[in-house]
Amino acid sequence: MKSEVRNQKSEVGTQKLILGGVEFTSRLILGTGKFSDTQTMIQAIEASGTELVTVALRRFNRDKPDDDLCAPLAKLKNVKLMPNTSGAMNAKEAVRAAQLGRELSGSPFVKVEIHPNPHHLMPDAIETYLAAKELAADGFIVLPYIPADPVLAKKLEDVGCAAVMPLGAAIGSGGGLSTAEMIKLIIRDSNIPVIVDAGLRAPSEAARAMEMGCDACLVNSAIAAANDPSGMARAFALGVKTGFAARQAGLMPKSEVAVASSPLTSFLS
Amino acid sequence: MNLTVNGESHEHAGTIAALLSELGANPEYTAITVNGDLVFSKDWNNFKFSDGDSVEVLTFVGGG
Repeated sequence: MKSEVRNQKSEVGTQKLILGGVEFTSRLILGTGKFSDTQTMIQAIEASGTELVTVALRRFNRDKPDDDLCAPLAKLKNVKLMPNTSGAMNAKEAVRAAQLGRELSGSPFVKVEIHPNPHHLMPDAIETYLAAKELAADGFIVLPYIPADPVLAKKLEDVGCAAVMPLGAAIGSGGGLSTAEMIKLIIRDSNIPVIVDAGLRAPSEAARAMEMGCDACLVNSAIAAANDPSGMARAFALGVKTGFAARQAGLMPKSEVAVASSPLTSFLS
Repeated sequence: MNLTVNGESHEHAGTIAALLSELGANPEYTAITVNGDLVFSKDWNNFKFSDGDSVEVLTFVGGG
């Protein structure tokens, strides 16, 4: 049923990603952490063609003013900010972080992420649900970072989230699409965009996620930690575009046995 | 009066704008909480600190 709805959309040419009523041409979202310096980050954002980037909220450090991050980001006119709630240990702290992020950015987007265990950084499903519900009711465009759990994803859709962002693998691990089968189940039932967030290492994994039916990919470490972040940003943009184009074109059905591409009869007879 | 600003003791008797100026923080890129509550920038001019207030001065940093 879902795949029919999706195909219909693409047939009428609705190729833009829509999050909370806001249209995006790019289906690649970038995280801004871990870059060696601000200039490298800005260059990677520009190379990626992204229109949405995440930022984190932290105490102002008078010894190391962070104007060098805010001011250059503010200059990127086609790029919207999505503050995250990283550092929040529960729903209450995440809601507060989201409100601060909205005050500071003027942006209605929020990436709800609550991962109390620093060892694996796995999202807390219960607290994430509670925070997402409250923030969606408060008018935020809520994109929760979640375990690849189709039941949770559906409940987040029901409380008004603009998308769900299941993890491919642990944050920063480069583990790839280890949750692919669960993400397929999420996609199958979801009426809101599904965005793979965390774990991607290679552009081919982003392409695979899009071929599977994901609507976008959120990438940070794979780009920031590459030898050439701008080059990798460009490569991920191509990977996402390739995978999305392939899904729209429709992959051929799989067969258990060989199906000849050349005629097998009338050979030299 | 004595405030706690980002966990450190800080003598300050003026406005939020004056505090940010002392810290070298750009008000455009700064959010403030006092005793855990967000103070909206539109309310900064009228806000009066009380002795012992715990102030958090926050800004955006890179994050995924």
